[in-house]
Amino acid sequence: MSQDDVILEARDLVKDFAGFLAVNHVSFKVRRGTIHALIGPNGAGKTTLFNLLTKFLPPTKGHIIFKGEDITRLAPADVARRGLVRSFQISAVFPHLSVLDNVRVALQRERGGSFDFWRSRNVLEAYHDRALALLEDVGLTEYAEAQAVSLPYGRKRALELATTLALNPELMLLDEPMAGMAHEDIDRIAELIRRVSKGRTVLMVEHNLNVVASLSDTITVLTRGQILTEGDYKTVSANADVQQAYMGTGHG
Amino acid sequence: MKPALLSVQNLESWYGESHILHGVNLEVGQGEVVTLLGRNGAGKTTTLKSIMGIVRNRRGSITKGGIQTIGMTSDRIAKLGTALCPEERAIFSSLNVRENLMLPPAINDRGMSVEEIFALFPNLKERIGTSQGTKLSGGEQQMLAIARILRTGADLLLLDEPTEGLAPVIIQQIGRTIRMLKERGLTILLVEQNFRFASTVADRFYVMEHGQIIDGFKSADLEANMPKLHDYLGV
Amino acid sequence: MFEFLGIPPQALFGQLLIGLINGSFYALLSLGLAVIFGMLNIINFTHGAQYMMGAFAAYLLAQYLGIGYWPSLVIAPLLVGLIGIIIERTMLKRLYHLDHLYGLLFTFGIALIIQGLFRFQFGSSGLPYPIPDQLQGVIRLPFMFLPIYRAWVIVFSLAVCLTTWFLIERTSLGATLRAATENPTIVRSFGVNVPRLITLTYGAGVGLAGLAGVLAAPIYQVSPLMGADIIVVVFAVVVIGGMGSILGSVITGFMLGLIEGLTKVFYPEASTTVVFVIMAIVLLIRPSGLFGKAATTTAGVESTGIGSSLDGGRVLNVAMAGLVAILAIAPLVLYPQFLMKALCIALFAMSVNLLLGFAGLLSFGHAMFLGSAGYVSAHAAKIWGLPPELAILAGTATAAFMGLIAGAIAIRRQGIYFAMTTLALSQMIFFIAVQVPFTGGEDGIQGVPRGLMFGFLDIKNQLTMYYVVLAVFVFAMLLVHRIIHSPFGEVLKSIRENEPRAISLGYKTDRYKLMAFVLSASIAGLGGATKAIVFQLASLTDVHWSMSGEAVLMTLVGGLGTMLGPVVGAFVIIAMETYLAEWGQWVTVIQGVVFVICVMAFRRGLVGEVAYRTGKPL
Repeated sequence: MSQDDVILEARDLVKDFAGFLAVNHVSFKVRRGTIHALIGPNGAGKTTLFNLLTKFLPPTKGHIIFKGEDITRLAPADVARRGLVRSFQISAVFPHLSVLDNVRVALQRERGGSFDFWRSRNVLEAYHDRALALLEDVGLTEYAEAQAVSLPYGRKRALELATTLALNPELMLLDEPMAGMAHEDIDRIAELIRRVSKGRTVLMVEHNLNVVASLSDTITVLTRGQILTEGDYKTVSANADVQQAYMGTGHG
Repeated sequence: MKPALLSVQNLESWYGESHILHGVNLEVGQGEVVTLLGRNGAGKTTTLKSIMGIVRNRRGSITKGGIQTIGMTSDRIAKLGTALCPEERAIFSSLNVRENLMLPPAINDRGMSVEEIFALFPNLKERIGTSQGTKLSGGEQQMLAIARILRTGADLLLLDEPTEGLAPVIIQQIGRTIRMLKERGLTILLVEQNFRFASTVADRFYVMEHGQIIDGFKSADLEANMPKLHDYLGV
Repeated sequence: MFEFLGIPPQALFGQLLIGLINGSFYALLSLGLAVIFGMLNIINFTHGAQYMMGAFAAYLLAQYLGIGYWPSLVIAPLLVGLIGIIIERTMLKRLYHLDHLYGLLFTFGIALIIQGLFRFQFGSSGLPYPIPDQLQGVIRLPFMFLPIYRAWVIVFSLAVCLTTWFLIERTSLGATLRAATENPTIVRSFGVNVPRLITLTYGAGVGLAGLAGVLAAPIYQVSPLMGADIIVVVFAVVVIGGMGSILGSVITGFMLGLIEGLTKVFYPEASTTVVFVIMAIVLLIRPSGLFGKAATTTAGVESTGIGSSLDGGRVLNVAMAGLVAILAIAPLVLYPQFLMKALCIALFAMSVNLLLGFAGLLSFGHAMFLGSAGYVSAHAAKIWGLPPELAILAGTATAAFMGLIAGAIAIRRQGIYFAMTTLALSQMIFFIAVQVPFTGGEDGIQGVPRGLMFGFLDIKNQLTMYYVVLAVFVFAMLLVHRIIHSPFGEVLKSIRENEPRAISLGYKTDRYKLMAFVLSASIAGLGGATKAIVFQLASLTDVHWSMSGEAVLMTLVGGLGTMLGPVVGAFVIIAMETYLAEWGQWVTVIQGVVFVICVMAFRRGLVGEVAYRTGKPL
């Protein structure tokens, strides 16, 4: 893969929690324009790795390169401004803002700082239509006025996705977008991710291999803080170690 | 089936506002090892936590050894002989390994002695002086999490995904442990994703979906149930 | 005799000894706070009052039952601990599921009640308590005379601290405690009765405070206010040490006592403020404290600010207009003096609410802005002869600048640490105000001329003055309204709701918090500066932290996160103070009771309740 194709690269990342190596010398590359899944059982270090990549945790060792720039020492907000935006495993909405305001506060980012406390928020009406359009994209139009806290779980995840999309990120990092979802919702969110991935790159962390099967171009499998294997679904699912880690096949 | 040590009927549970369990029915006989299967979010962990009394907002009936525990707090349920090994293992970082092992108070004198536990988990004996429980490897932490509830004398063990994220050799060791515990007459309710592993230790399976038990079969019938299982679990 | 840097050794060691004595009390008290915080996640504001109760228990036991020092050393802490256990069982335990800040506010209310009751009963002057016979006298050391009792206090405190440390770090009971601190749910599922453990821990922590009180009784006089000021210093100690470690809080306590003693020798003017200066420096260099573990907790105070952006807030606009109309004709019925005081204080309460209700930041030190702005405004009008509008402007600008500095320090910590930091910073300002000649010390700046506003408004006329104050109030209210409903306000609300998510959207949340802090400080300053001109007086009252507490109380009574709540709250509390003035100490007790009731059962406040029931933002 040519270096231009790589949007994000982790080089030899290590996270040491008081002697426990949650992420143990992990290196991988995410190609521009792909959907890349990072999977592994609980405790494999996925969320820690995710937090390292989005700068919510400082790595003990190693480097993170985004669009050719070393972002290892940047603050999370600065990383977001460069086009790398994350979602959270525990649904991250602004609970007591309306659904519309949740999206709008993200759209508002493009105004810059928004330190203008003397100006009426009516200036934000300009984002109204785009916010509604984003809500329509994720099927939340009818909930626009509701408080985010009142949405059912699956809808909260959809709202979070809309908020992330509002920043028009080049690279979207989704932390277990399907976690805790019912069967029907999973298909809907998968479809949504496929749709919004046009023209951008998605890196998602998932627990279940089969959820990402049809969705991802590349799958990196993590166990015990280390990369087990990497490749497309066919390659990865045929790997004996992966089968072992996931269902104990080849053992019983 | 042997007389039920644990009997759960019409169990409903809530986490805050969300209704997680919608009428769970299951029984675990004295000395049985039973495995709960199901997708992420199906309600397996909530079932264990409801039986343990950690999920307080629950309705229905849970009897342990004939005693109704639905309204009890978890410390009282523990004293009746139920013990949980949680999914996240919950090894304490401010306690050293010995303190972690000795933390749960014994409820009777039928529990294993420290020597017996060391015989079962030789690694733990070597690492007993480690200053922080969380400095152990994932596998060692899992063994410690199981070992500490063996000391107490509890006769019903609830094990939540004990093999998750562990190396094959350690999974085998945990399998041996569970079989040994069964021989000692302990009753075990196990949550597992890894049903191949589970079939090596369990007598029976239950399958959960949407907060209910939707199927159940004997371990011997696993192969016959594979197609159904693939559908349930999406593997 | 040799001299050290020109200081006679007798003086040097004398001060070091006093430093060690103070350090003993800091260590014992911060140890108790740390133990309680570890288990309950609550900052026990009542700690100072419980220390005082320990001293009183010893005094009363001696006075009425003839029980001497040695039995009291055991009985008094048990009594104080028992009262603590009753408070925990009946009330405190109902607050565990809420944000930590409510625990702080509740224990603050209890402290007010206890201190008020003791002052009512015993007055404010100190009562003597004798040194026990066995510890009378002095030891002659080559370089100083060492009073035996003082040596005993240091040795005994050290022993108590080490015993506590041993219990927690080296015994199985301690292991259970530590485990329950980390994960109470799992520990409970092992069969440990965690709620009872929590109760006993609170009792023990409070008992330590009582023990410190008994030790202190023969050294300091026994007085109802003996705990009120030490608790603020102890908060600073806790912020410096970080509450992660038992030994850390002990070491920090003794160390700061010594530093205080040394400062008294070399630069006595700074001895009351040195702890707070160290706190500010530590926060800037190592925000989690010397021994603390980096922990981030986000505040989550329940806010009653409801309604969406599409709601034009018409009801609120009508309500605000109605309020202004009522205020415009109010002088017909009520004394302008009362109204003006209430309006100035309402500005102050609004400033606290702007931070707490809309940014989720509890400042317990806003009196520093109110008071300092008052001093500058009074000084500008009286000494520099500035016209009142410029004097008020100077005061407000001072508050804004102080807000920038204090904010930059305080936002480095979150939640209760933020509250404690602001409190400690304001205490530092208070001590400075006590000392510097500029403020006139106890007398304050009196006889501030009102003069001509804008060169033509004669505000010596009471009614003219009133309408000027009303205009200032309306301006500030509209400003706050605009801030809340501005693009900035939207970001602020999102930070309050979910800070990590706001960061992940690319907002540098610290800058927004700092901005909010400066704006809030300015509004508090505007209130203080105006008040100084109106009452022609700037005094220590306005810079004392109890004033900050009152502002929080007003906000709570009126309704957190509502526009009109703080105004209503300010009028209620000021009316209470004005019309119940002849009740003396009972006012403090009643305030404490109101605090406790609000936290326990009425968290929405008056306006918040109306807003909640009608579904309209107010």
